[in-house]
Amino acid sequence: QEIQLKGVVRSNDDHSPLVGASIVKKGTTSGVVTDADGQFNLKLNAGNVLVVSFIGFDSKSFVVHDDSFLEIELGENLNQLNEVVVTALGINKEKKSLGYSVQEIKSETITAVPEANLVNSLSGKIAGVQVTNSQGNLGSSRIIIRGETSISGNNQPLFIVDGVPVDNSQFTTSDASRDFANAISDISSEDIESISVLKGPNAAALYGSRAASGVILIKTKTGKGQKKLGVNVYSKNTFESVLTLPSYQNGYGQGSGGTFSYVDGKGGGVNDGVDESWGPKLDGRLIPQFFSNGVAVPWVAHPNNVRDFFETGHTLSNGVSISGADNKFDFRFSYNNTSQTGTLPNTDLGKNTFGINSSYKILPELVLSTSANYINTDAGNLPGVFGRRATSSMLQFAWFGRQVDVNQLKNYRDANGNLVNWNNSYYSNLFFIANENTVSQRRDRIFGNVNLNYKFLKDFTANFRIGNDYYNDRRKIKIAYGTNGTPYGSYQEIGYTVNERNIEFTLNYNKKITTDFTVDVLGGSNLLSKYYEENNQSAPKLAVRDVYTLANSRDPLVSSSYYSKQKKNSVFASGQANFRDYAFLNLTARNDWSSTLPEGNNSYFYPSVNASVLVSKFLNIESSQLSFLKIRGGWSKVGKDSNPYQLIDTYPFNAPFGSNPQLTVTNASLNANLKPETTTSSEIGAEIGLFNNNVRVDLSYYNTNSYDQILNVDVSPSTGYVSKLLNAGKINNQGFEVQLSFSPVKISNGLTWDVVANFSTNKSEVLELDKEGLLTAYRIAQSGSLSVLAAIGQPYGSLFGTAYKRNDKGEILVKANGAPDTDPNNKYFGSFQPDWIAGITNTFTYKNFSLSFLIDAKIGGSIYNGTQSTGTYTGVLAETLRGRDEENGGLAYYYPNNVKTQLPVQLASHTTAAPNSEVVYHDGVIFDGVKADGTQNTTILPAQSYWKTFRTINESSVFDASFVKFREISLGYNLPSKWIKAIGLQSANVALLGRDLWIIHKNAPHIDPETALNTGNGQGLESLQLPSTRSYGFSLNLNF
Amino acid sequence: CVQDLLDTNKNPNEAQIAQPDYLLTNAIKSSVDTYWGTTNNLDGTLLFAQHVAKIQYTEIDRYIASNTTFESPWKSFYSQGLRDLAEIIKIGETENQPNYKAVATIFRSWVFLLLTDAYGDIPYSQAININEYITPAYDAQKDVYHGLLNDLKTAVALIDPTKKAISGDVIYSGNLTKWKKFANSLRYRIALRIADKEPEVAKQAIAEIPVADLIGDGETAQLVYLTSPNQNPIALFFETRDDYRVSKSIVETLKSLNDPRLPVFANKTETATPEIYIGVPNGLTTSAASALGFSKTSKIGTYFTSPQTPGVILSTAEVLFGRAEAAARGFTTENAETLYNQAIKASLKQFGITSDDVVNAYLAQPSVKYNSANYKQSIGVQKWIALFGQGLEAFAEWRRLDYPQLPPAVAGTLDGKIPVRYIYPGSEQSLNLKNYKAAVARQGADALTIKLWFDVN
Repeated sequence: QEIQLKGVVRSNDDHSPLVGASIVKKGTTSGVVTDADGQFNLKLNAGNVLVVSFIGFDSKSFVVHDDSFLEIELGENLNQLNEVVVTALGINKEKKSLGYSVQEIKSETITAVPEANLVNSLSGKIAGVQVTNSQGNLGSSRIIIRGETSISGNNQPLFIVDGVPVDNSQFTTSDASRDFANAISDISSEDIESISVLKGPNAAALYGSRAASGVILIKTKTGKGQKKLGVNVYSKNTFESVLTLPSYQNGYGQGSGGTFSYVDGKGGGVNDGVDESWGPKLDGRLIPQFFSNGVAVPWVAHPNNVRDFFETGHTLSNGVSISGADNKFDFRFSYNNTSQTGTLPNTDLGKNTFGINSSYKILPELVLSTSANYINTDAGNLPGVFGRRATSSMLQFAWFGRQVDVNQLKNYRDANGNLVNWNNSYYSNLFFIANENTVSQRRDRIFGNVNLNYKFLKDFTANFRIGNDYYNDRRKIKIAYGTNGTPYGSYQEIGYTVNERNIEFTLNYNKKITTDFTVDVLGGSNLLSKYYEENNQSAPKLAVRDVYTLANSRDPLVSSSYYSKQKKNSVFASGQANFRDYAFLNLTARNDWSSTLPEGNNSYFYPSVNASVLVSKFLNIESSQLSFLKIRGGWSKVGKDSNPYQLIDTYPFNAPFGSNPQLTVTNASLNANLKPETTTSSEIGAEIGLFNNNVRVDLSYYNTNSYDQILNVDVSPSTGYVSKLLNAGKINNQGFEVQLSFSPVKISNGLTWDVVANFSTNKSEVLELDKEGLLTAYRIAQSGSLSVLAAIGQPYGSLFGTAYKRNDKGEILVKANGAPDTDPNNKYFGSFQPDWIAGITNTFTYKNFSLSFLIDAKIGGSIYNGTQSTGTYTGVLAETLRGRDEENGGLAYYYPNNVKTQLPVQLASHTTAAPNSEVVYHDGVIFDGVKADGTQNTTILPAQSYWKTFRTINESSVFDASFVKFREISLGYNLPSKWIKAIGLQSANVALLGRDLWIIHKNAPHIDPETALNTGNGQGLESLQLPSTRSYGFSLNLNF
Repeated sequence: CVQDLLDTNKNPNEAQIAQPDYLLTNAIKSSVDTYWGTTNNLDGTLLFAQHVAKIQYTEIDRYIASNTTFESPWKSFYSQGLRDLAEIIKIGETENQPNYKAVATIFRSWVFLLLTDAYGDIPYSQAININEYITPAYDAQKDVYHGLLNDLKTAVALIDPTKKAISGDVIYSGNLTKWKKFANSLRYRIALRIADKEPEVAKQAIAEIPVADLIGDGETAQLVYLTSPNQNPIALFFETRDDYRVSKSIVETLKSLNDPRLPVFANKTETATPEIYIGVPNGLTTSAASALGFSKTSKIGTYFTSPQTPGVILSTAEVLFGRAEAAARGFTTENAETLYNQAIKASLKQFGITSDDVVNAYLAQPSVKYNSANYKQSIGVQKWIALFGQGLEAFAEWRRLDYPQLPPAVAGTLDGKIPVRYIYPGSEQSLNLKNYKAAVARQGADALTIKLWFDVN
């Protein structure tokens, strides 16, 4: 009896229709696949057995009885083998078919513990991905996948949201001394369904010249499968407090040589212009101070004076989303609002995001979908960073009078309106700076895409997509009248406009050729056009105080503008052959034509090949011990083009000298023969499932060579240029990654314990800078005499600077005055790159409770500790107490005949008299070093001189940057459904949250060794950074 | 499609074609800015020559320097001024404009001279030629001086008033005769610079230069600054900072000579003091310096902190002192004492002191009178005064003439010595290591106390 059978296939998780599920008569190849509604229509006979299968789901079999409408729900297959992941160009593929490592994390993992900067929520969760947190809680975050492959270019991965590249620039405005949030932080984690990390070239080869640093694919939530109207409401409330502060001494106050008395704070009194703490002992003696109008008042310690300056920050995130679907239409609308206040007074940031995702089935074969987002980020004032005198609070605390009570500074104007400060020769009052010298940022952004998908033949699908990302980022920098160093104040406006448009067409052919053999072929093209515009105007001196407009200027305005445009045309293809579902071969190819490269070099080809074999299936050795074993491997070549306008030297304008216009030759010698940077990468790996898939291991090893680097190398200025654009450098990165997950406990009463861990290493070596081998080092960044270099034979990011002078035995040599000597040759102090990074997440669930925590570690690497370097010089740090008096280990000594140019003579402790009645001092310290003849140093230095000798020796401030952090914790409770159903809720969850609660281990004193100056390559330099923050709070999540 | 890509990459932001006049203005302005500016002048040679002293941040005044301390003059002289000048020379050659080539070569010689006076051996013959030398070798100082003498001679010969004129010249407004005089005066300066080391070469060079072809009255080579943002770099610095005072060394010297230039070089103390003018000793510790009191010490004279004060490159007075010295050395047959007196007169005039009575009274003092038994002392002291503000030149002449005898920094760190050169920028160690090492090895060591080739005693 022939039956016309109709039905629908859905996911049993969210009841969404499964498109492209196959319905096959058992034992044959004849069958159909479900349409865009998940529906099918098939003729067969009663008694036939149907097999319904869909990748990522467990198959089901049915015996056909009659022609009643079949509703089939498939369960998701959690077997890692059948897991479906998003790959390049947003194509879903079965993980088993891939010849490279790809790791995906889901919405819950991202949003469990909220984080304002999306990038930070990846920290510790993905092998090979290194995230460096920004300063404080309002700022940028840096992400590097598998090491730096570009010596001087951008090493941040490409971010793609729903198939469309979105910009992640930072635009460090150097005049502002702010760590502006990188642009990807606009995206709200709450709208993300999943993030797939394509680690480097092998996974990302289809992106060609944008793939070298890896790709982060973000898929946003849609309304698919939402049978009736769904409403989700959440609220997250967290508080941020300072996690680390330097350890300060509280024994001695401001001044020099033990004396201080305040008159005007700029040298009019006794050492009152000195911004250091080498003054009198804080023993309650009476001394005139900045707040006492010349009256001598008690000179006492305020141990919490720095901590008191900071506030408790607050982040409140609320959002609502509404979603729904029928068989033709689905949509999801979301609104998120975040408002943050920082730990520094008067800092804040607010964000509003509106998003809509929808799709409409015009015909069963033709689907139109759109996604649109509007985001407004608005910061009234961002925290001052970067150790600049006019803006940085931590700089002022590093040059500080330890007796200062910051609470006395809060009212920063006296009765006459004059500014009050503890020091007036270098600084302005911290509260005045916080309240009046503000830097605001406002970014308005629209991005989205329109997508048309047409399945015009049984095996052919065409897809057309146009995506656009546009934003306008405006910054306003105000310096108030009366600010130290800028007496007239100033006002600057900077505007950035960024637009990127991608138009993409793809054609896909998917066919099961024989029962053993399936091919999946894709071809397509992409047109990219991008422009960037910058406008910068400043009034260098205000005419009238407190009015911040460009017209209010005493001097001519200083203006500049910059516009750039680039285009890239691409064609690409990929093919996959699947043999019996256990052997897979994948090939990709892409050709790019870039506008930024010269004719003849602007077309370039990127191939990749990778393969995967399910050894366990192939050899038929699957068992309950060995659930599966897959090995994989691949090779790829990708690249990177240049920035616009790097070919021909130009002549920049300088402001005219009177009526004489001025042109100069550019600082950077450009290169008319640029070729693209090329990166080739080989990768091998294995995936293993053990004990019924209870233990899952993924191992990868990769080796990446990046050459023909477009390298703006510093050259000796004697060449006439500061830098030259070369096309030569070569860098190698190799690394090993492990991902491990297992469930130690799975008890039938509902208790489960899951562990997810990852571990990775990356080792880099700079192999070449220029073809002729003349250059030995490329300078990535610099702080004083310390450079961060890419130097031949060294790892990327090596610290290079002044060192102790040592003898053959490695002992430190001292000069005649007993102070350590400096080696005339600079030395290497390791690289900022860690030896290894790791993260481990433990999740416990029991009935309605779940507890999850993440610990992550970054071990090895070096950091230059600017806080320590400055703070020992200025005598504010705890260690500088040593030697100041006998109580603190100071030695007694005198100068013969009180002549201070003579070498001091040591006396027994507590001696108060010298042979010829010379003055006896008790603050002697002997540096632990040797004299030129190899004998132990015995020459005494006064403590103040002793502690001041180290600042010019970079080596003394380089530390191991290792840390282990208690990164995230959440304790959640799902309200029992019997309670919530009554009030119309589907589900409700409350949770307690914590982030960065504790630095479990670190070796660098005074600072959090995890610090990013910005998202650039110049890392490993701590420069009086803002203290990092811990965050704790609670969340509420309701589904109606 | 390909054409579209190429068009897209046309830089809309900057000029693609250089104009020599615009480049010339920039080359002059940027070089004089560097010469007169903070790192090279206020924070370097003016301290070493003890024209000024620091009252805050006294480290450099105590000779605490690292290998980044003197990076900026090196960087800006080479990559700005010299680079622009090389472009002008190229344009002069390709477009047959010999006058641009000549003027740019003359000005370039001055910049190279500054560099070698400060650092010793420097990249010169391989400098500013990135396509051939990405790591230029350092020429020995002797070769640099010889090369410059030759360059200047060639440039002077190249000047041809019948060929196309130059513009953008903010020193002499395109007056080629004056450029010729400036070139000759520079040759004179260089000849004397090497006079102790190679008297014959010096004598020969001076013999080639007719006295009439030297800078005369009112022909001082200088850049007259304008108002903000084109103000004198020292004025710019003092708009926001107050780190310097006049050095005690020069205040005391001027006082002892009853010198009418004292009120020009120094301001009265803000809080009235019996001494009226008080200089600060060089090289005090921060606390000792600040203990003197900001208002109880003399700031640098208002003349020097005014926006439109000229940046002097080579003055009439210097030429006259040079001629006096050449005579004293027997290189010429001129009268040393007469020229010495004329030089002082020219210097006084430069600083606005023109009253004959004042000038004559000053010259009549035994302490001022030319000492033919020790011309180095007379000329050394008076030239040191006349060069006030021109730190690097004053520093070079003090090293060469060994007068005045300056006291080392009070809390100096060089064992009682005063620096006699700059340290090379540390960046040369990572960017041009081999050549840097060769240059250092040739000269001894890369230290402030290592004497340069020209500096005999």
